[in-house]
Amino acid sequence: MLEISLKKQLEDFEVGVNLSLDEELLVLFGPSGAGKTMILKMISGIVKPDDGRVVSGGEVLFDSSSGVNVPVRKRKVGYLFQDYALFPHMTVEENIAYGIEGPKASAGKKVSELLGLMRLAGLEKRFPHELSGGQKQRTALARTLAAEPRVLLLDEPFSALDYQVREKLRADLLNIHRVYPITTVLVTHDLEEAFMLGKKIAVINNGSIEQSGTREDVFYRPKTRNVARFMGVRNIFAGAVSGLEDSNILIDTPDIGVIKAPRPPGFQFSPGQEVSFCIRPEEILVIRPDRVLGKVQDNILECDITGAIGKGSTHILYLETGHGRTPLKVELPNFVVRKLELAVGRQVKVSLKKENIWVIA
Amino acid sequence: MDLFPLFLTIKVSFFATVLTIAIGLTLAWVMAKRDFWGKGLLDVIIMQPLVIPPTVLGYYLLALFGRSGWLGGVLDSLGIEIVFTWKGAVVAAFISSLPLFVKPARAALEGVGADLENAARLLGKTEWQVIRTITLPLAWRGILAGAVMAFARATGEFGATLMVAGNIPGVTQTLPIAIYDAVQSGDSGAANLLVLIITLFSFSVLFAAGKIGRGRL
Repeated sequence: MLEISLKKQLEDFEVGVNLSLDEELLVLFGPSGAGKTMILKMISGIVKPDDGRVVSGGEVLFDSSSGVNVPVRKRKVGYLFQDYALFPHMTVEENIAYGIEGPKASAGKKVSELLGLMRLAGLEKRFPHELSGGQKQRTALARTLAAEPRVLLLDEPFSALDYQVREKLRADLLNIHRVYPITTVLVTHDLEEAFMLGKKIAVINNGSIEQSGTREDVFYRPKTRNVARFMGVRNIFAGAVSGLEDSNILIDTPDIGVIKAPRPPGFQFSPGQEVSFCIRPEEILVIRPDRVLGKVQDNILECDITGAIGKGSTHILYLETGHGRTPLKVELPNFVVRKLELAVGRQVKVSLKKENIWVIA
Repeated sequence: MDLFPLFLTIKVSFFATVLTIAIGLTLAWVMAKRDFWGKGLLDVIIMQPLVIPPTVLGYYLLALFGRSGWLGGVLDSLGIEIVFTWKGAVVAAFISSLPLFVKPARAALEGVGADLENAARLLGKTEWQVIRTITLPLAWRGILAGAVMAFARATGEFGATLMVAGNIPGVTQTLPIAIYDAVQSGDSGAANLLVLIITLFSFSVLFAAGKIGRGRL
């Protein structure tokens, strides 16, 4: 259990966050320079907050009002640095054993246990400069876990690794979290990583939390345009409410015309009111030309393809409806693009299915 | 051939270097790891002996450690005499060689990144444990290179030593002063020998310091 409420004035913005989490993994997600690392440094005590409280497992680690500031060494906070900060003059074994207290025999047992869990067996006599990036990262994680922290802080733990290694180590991390289910905060600016690791995600921007909640909430139901943007939604349109139905609202946008969207619960709308809505590029459906449209479908748009960018296994198509200049972005698997012969200059019919649209009130 | 100046120089340089390491390492650590008001001024004061004329430095030391100087008065009441004794030569050599030690030692300590030291703190270590197990083991090359430089500078100290300790044969006459004396009195045989000793020594010191600094020794 970790509860934090922190404030710190930085040069160009103020960090101010409130968070509470159990023995779970929370992802702090946000663009570079949003203050994510600063939050970890304040939890660990490396940086002193101007104001606030940090409580871990019932113990007050920092409280500005009562003047409590437990020194770093007594906080039992595990911290994985972005560049791992392995001690270069110690072997893998010595690094891992460094923070273990108690008799040598039990320390040795713990080290070999962690060596096994982290797939480091056979490397115990190596020095950090003789390790690959992934091995360094696992050594650093083992060293941190060996000290039995109550809270684990991971600062961009995969950013320095190759793509293939990253994938494997993310799976490793989830596995390790199952074995050591401790309160974990992971900082990242990588969307894929945030989605893969965080059942709970807090989106940080300019030092404060724009939205926090379950992965699905943040990913599919962003509360602000910024969150939508950071979550890779890419299609965010503004317009005016032009009609209200029981469970739907109609939004007239200058870019793609009138769109029917589900009415988000808990909000009042009046005609003419400015609202935004968004739809993820991979959630837009392309309608095959030979397909007979059975039931009346919502939001069928005839578009010109004005651009196409390959992204490895998928393509991003830029579509214009003839209304405005802001294109609709659609992400499609390469085989679909090939099969339907979608190329710049051709026309395509797409559907923005109602249930894939999210209105930002 | 009187070898007293050689032995005195070794003795003076040894004690001066011990002082330099003890006080210089503390200064270097404070300069490398702490921020405080007046840090820039302290840096300028430590580095002064590199640029100020040795005679001026000697004059300051004389004023400070002389019987009427405030430190000299205190030491005198404790029965410790500095001026015109071999201890005066130690003080002069210590002050002159301090910057040559502090500069590389500070750089070496700064080279041990804050993340490494924080990692150790996060693993439950006290400040002293962090210094002993992380900072010093990673910075020792720079510190040792600085100590070697300081020792070499101490053996060659002339101006300030002459001012504070004087030139008393058999008491405070160090090697560089003995060379000066030999040249003045036309004893070129003694001068040549002493010059050869000190030249060989200086060469080997710089050579060793370079090797230590680059990690080849």
